[in-house]
Amino acid sequence: MTLKEKIDAYKEGFKEKAPKAAQEIMHRATEDLQNSPQMLNTIKVGDIAPDFNLKNTGNTDVALSDLLDRGPVVLNFYRGRW
Amino acid sequence: MELEALSTLADQFAAAGATLVLISPQLPEHNAAIAKDKGLSVDILSDPGNVTAARYGLKYQMPDDLITIYQQFGLDVAKHNGDDSWTLPMPAALIIDGDGIVRHTNINADYTNRPEPEDTLAALKEIR
Repeated sequence: MTLKEKIDAYKEGFKEKAPKAAQEIMHRATEDLQNSPQMLNTIKVGDIAPDFNLKNTGNTDVALSDLLDRGPVVLNFYRGRW
Repeated sequence: MELEALSTLADQFAAAGATLVLISPQLPEHNAAIAKDKGLSVDILSDPGNVTAARYGLKYQMPDDLITIYQQFGLDVAKHNGDDSWTLPMPAALIIDGDGIVRHTNINADYTNRPEPEDTLAALKEIR
């Protein structure tokens, strides 16, 4: 099962149980973002990746520049448990 | 779901020569709790206030009516993230080469549309 299939199954359940009015607001918020000019300003292929220095789960600072010393880096932005 | 899917492939990302990291606005203790709970083998970095996400053009300001819905659902993003901005990163998978240049992006305004880890892995192998 792909991640998409798992998420789609979850979405079906949510559609059934969540209040319609709430779902409409959520859908509109997503559509507004899709149509927002800010989507033109997302990072692009060929851009220099901005460096960062962030704490990991062990409260240790991790810098992108240090990770890149070891080779390519796959960054996955994760919004959290929502 | 996304975290488990990524974590399952962590060895393959490593075998392809890349470091896989997650960036989340959640407080480090919440990231640590999730990592432990799900037995993740991927590091999660904490990005307070989505400052780094903003530099990548990925910061999303939740509108007021959406914030109200989240509050009604008991989803206190502000408290959980330790900042009151009510911002979130858009889902994104990026591949950065050893020179610091972005070589692949998969960015979605729709937060239910997450980058498929298998696709990111395939893109990584193409670049290498």
